Amino acid sequence: MKCYLCAKEGKDRDAVAICIVCGMGVCMDHAIREEVAVWEGGYPFPAKKLKRTVPRILCKPCYSAYHEG
Amino acid sequence: MSLMKKSVAELVGTFLLVYFGAGSAAITLMISKGSSPPNPFNIGIGALGGLGDWVAIGLAFALAISAVIYSLGRISGAHINPAVTIALWATKRFATGDMVAYIIAQMIGAALASFAFAATVGMDAVTVGGLGATAPFPGISYSQAILAEAIGTFLLMLTIMGVAVDERAPPGFAGLIIGLTVGGIITTTGNIAGSSLNPARTFGPYLGDQILAGNSLWQYFPIYVIGPIAGAVIAAFLYDYLSKE
Repeated sequence: MKCYLCAKEGKDRDAVAICIVCGMGVCMDHAIREEVAVWEGGYPFPAKKLKRTVPRILCKPCYSAYHEG
Repeated sequence: MSLMKKSVAELVGTFLLVYFGAGSAAITLMISKGSSPPNPFNIGIGALGGLGDWVAIGLAFALAISAVIYSLGRISGAHINPAVTIALWATKRFATGDMVAYIIAQMIGAALASFAFAATVGMDAVTVGGLGATAPFPGISYSQAILAEAIGTFLLMLTIMGVAVDERAPPGFAGLIIGLTVGGIITTTGNIAGSSLNPARTFGPYLGDQILAGNSLWQYFPIYVIGPIAGAVIAAFLYDYLSKE
C-alpha cells in the first residue's frame, strides 16, 4: 500500500501505517502516533485513569480534526 | 479524583435528586390543595389524576436520577443514596473512609435542596407541600412502611447490581434503567410510605420542615433508614450469591 497523502503530492512512498479513523495508508511523515489515556469504571464507582495507555495512529487530517474540534 | 471532589459530586447529585424529586411531590400537594380527596388513603397526591400523580412524581425522580448518573457517575459513582453506598461498602466494593464522607455529603446535599426548594417556592412548599417529606399513609403501620421501603430499595439495588456493578452488563444503560426503575417503584409503592428508598431523600425535607415550620416528622425517620439499608444490603449480597459461578 502507498501513502495516500504522498500520492496526492505526486510522490510515491510506501505506507507504514493505517489511520484508525479514515483507513488511509500513511508513510512515517504523515502518520501521528500518540498514547491515549485509558479509563476504567464509572457508575456506580468513580472512573479511574489507568497508568497504562494505548497507542493510536492517525493521519494528519484526522489528527487535526480531533484536536481542532 | 480526590475524595473532596467525589464528595462534592455526591452533594450536588443528592441536591438535584431532592430538589426535583421531592420537590415534585411538594408541588403536587400544592396544586391539589383545596380539592376533596375521595378517601382517607388519599392525602392529596392522587386527587388530581389517581395513580397518574405518582407516575408524574416517579418520572421527576427518574429523570433527575438519570441526569445525575450520566453527568456525575464517572466522578463519584453517583450513588446519591446512603443505602446504595452502604450496600457497596458491605459487599467490600467501597472503602470505609469514602463511605462515611459520601453519606455526610449526601445528607448535606439533601438538606440544602430542601432549603433551596423552600426559598424557590415560598412557605407554601413547607406548610402545604411538606417539602415532599415521606411518611406512612393512613392505615399503614410502622412495620408495613419499613417492609415497603425495604422491598422497594431491594429492587433498586438489585437493578444497580445487574445493570451497573456486574462487569457483564451492557454499557451505557445504567442511568436510564435505574432512573426508570425508581420511577416504577415510586408509582407502585408511593402511596404506602412515600417510597423514599433513600435515607438522605427523607432527611432533607424532615430537616427543612423542622426548622422552617416546626413540624417534626422525626418519629418516622427510622423507617427510611432501616427499610432502605436492609433492602439494599440484602439485594447486594443476594446478587453476589446468585451470580457466583
